[in-house]
This record gives sequence, structure tokens and C-alpha cells, in this order.
Amino acid sequence: MKQELQLQLQSYLDGELSGREARQVAALVEQNHEAQSLLGELRMTKAFLAGNEPEVTVPESREFYWSKIEREIARAEKSPASAGSGFLLAWRKHFAPLVGVALVFFLAVGVVQHYDLSLFDGNTQMENEVENNSEFTSSFSFRSHPEKMFVVWVQDKSAETVSEVDLEIMDEVEDVVIQ
Amino acid sequence: MATQDYTSVSDEKLVRASQRGNMLAFEEMVKRHRDKIYARAFSMMRNEDEAMDLSQEAWVKGWQRLKQFHGDSSFVTWMTRIVINLCLDQLRKQKRHRTESIEMMEEESGGVERQMPVVTVNPTERLERGELRQRIDKALALLSMEHRTVLILHEFEELEYKEIAKRMECSIGTVMSRLFYARRKMAVLMASYKREELS
Repeated sequence: MKQELQLQLQSYLDGELSGREARQVAALVEQNHEAQSLLGELRMTKAFLAGNEPEVTVPESREFYWSKIEREIARAEKSPASAGSGFLLAWRKHFAPLVGVALVFFLAVGVVQHYDLSLFDGNTQMENEVENNSEFTSSFSFRSHPEKMFVVWVQDKSAETVSEVDLEIMDEVEDVVIQ
Repeated sequence: MATQDYTSVSDEKLVRASQRGNMLAFEEMVKRHRDKIYARAFSMMRNEDEAMDLSQEAWVKGWQRLKQFHGDSSFVTWMTRIVINLCLDQLRKQKRHRTESIEMMEEESGGVERQMPVVTVNPTERLERGELRQRIDKALALLSMEHRTVLILHEFEELEYKEIAKRMECSIGTVMSRLFYARRKMAVLMASYKREELS
């Protein structure tokens, strides 16, 4: 007998089939002796297991069994209530992200200062362009001292599609190359 | 003892008292249902020490999550679900450490159970209930962990295929297959005990 039919017989026994499927299996069982035998065995097994789960009792005294539970509950309730860990938890939850933001800010200031000192040396170089390409976003910043202007262009790469504008730009680029 | 004051109090009232933080009420609940919770852990783990640890851990979790119990099922059913989940987690951890044996590879497809002849005579006829339970216990111990677990969840916990699949993190097809071969093996084992008795 095919495994599919065997499992269908079991589903029929367990009431897991729809009404139509159940009627189909019932009709098949009437005609198929092998299916009848197998269904009989499955039904018998289900019947002798029902309500006859082996009885097991805790092999320890009630007091001893409870004492460990009580101890564990007390231990679990004590640990998060301690002042030190409570403070640490709050610190980690609220201040750690702030520290991250502050770190990024200081790095940014450091980078700007670095460019101020090394790249924008006097009047020799008044403009600076910085490009950053990551997997998901790209940014392009432009800074001009004489103009007192700082522009940052951020682009979401995931949203990038080839549009008509892009095609026009590509054409322009090609034109430049041709020229 | 103070716990004796609660012996005549219903489970529902004890749960409400426990939810308000009454540890004595909770102790009474443990006293009443500890055997059932331990028995479920033992039936799945087949090891006294593990069953003891997991059942006690279940009670600790039960206390910690009491506020999540809204009475949709009985308290003991809710506790049983907690211990089952702990046992399943433990069994999964153990499985990761086990090397795949031929038996394990065959268990999905049924292995030798495929070839077993159908048992037509009821091997449990005229058996005393105590004797029947003993034989069932003996046979359950011989099933693979996967077959035994699915059989317990379906036959004793009366969970549907879908619910078992969710808890065991497998497909419904796997549940059906495991249940089928677990039942077939149980029938054959019970028949063999009957033959031993007669010979």
C-alpha cells in the first residue's frame, strides 16, 4: 500500500480530513481489505493508548521538591532587583545609544577639522568634494568656503531605478565621451 | 502548616492568589499538580534527573509568567504546555550533539516499520489497567525520541497535527509520518509482549 494512502487512513481516523475527503477514504476502505486491516490496527492502538498514560510520581518528598523551586524563584527575583545591575541595565538601555551618537558626532567634527587644516589650506583650495559609497546609500558632500556653503546629497541605492532622467544623463555622458 | 489552609481552595482561586504574589497559594498548586508535570517531563525525556530539573524549571517559569495566564485553558494544561516546551528545547539541544545513526535516517521513512505485518488481534485484551500501563511504558521507552514525542503530544495531550508541527518545528507531513510509524511500532511491541506472556 502506498504511503500516501496509509497516512490518509490515519488522518481519517484522527478526524483531520475534510468531509469530502473523509467520505472518499470511507468508500475506499469498504472495498480494500488491506486498508481495512491497517485502519483496524491504527484504531486499536489509538484505543489502548487513550487514558492509559503510564503513571509516574515525583521520586522526592514534596518539601524537597518545592524547596528547589522556591529557591530558584527567590534567586530569579533577587538578581534584577539589585541596585548595581539595575543601574547598569538602565545605562545600557538609555545611554549606550547616546554614546554611539556622540561618537559619530565627534568623528564627524574630527573629519571636518582635518579637512579644514590639511585640504583647505588658506586660499589655495576653497572647495572640497567628498563622496561616500556604501551598499545601501551613497552620499556626496560639497563645501565651499568663499560661498560659505555646505551641501550633502544622500541617495537611497535600493530605490534606484533606471528612469528617463537617468537615460538622458547617460546620453549626455556618452556625448561628452564622443566629443 | 500554612499551606494546609489552601487544601480546600479551588485551582482558580489559588491562581488568582498566586497572581497577586501569594507564594503559599502557588506552593499548594505545585503540591497538587507536581506529579502530572513531572510525569509529562519524564515521558518525554525518559530520564529521572532531567525530568526533575525540567519540571522544577517549568514551575519557576510558571510563577514568573502567571500574569500571562488568563484562564483560557485549565492551569494544569497551561503548566503542561510550559514543561513540554522546555522538554522540546532540551531534546533539540541533545539532538544537535548526537551523531546521525542509521536508525535516525530511517525514522522519517519508517525504516523497518514499513515491513511489519498488520496486528489483527488486540494484544491488550483482558489486561488489567496497571499491567496495560506498564506495557505501554515499556514500549514507549523503545521508541525513538521523535516518534515518542509525537505520540505523546497526539495521544496524551490531544494536540492536532498542525499544533504538533508548530511545537516540534517540523512539517505536518513529518508529524503524520512519525505518528504513523510510532503507532505501528507500538502495536507490534504490544503484540510481542502478548506472545511472551503466552509462551
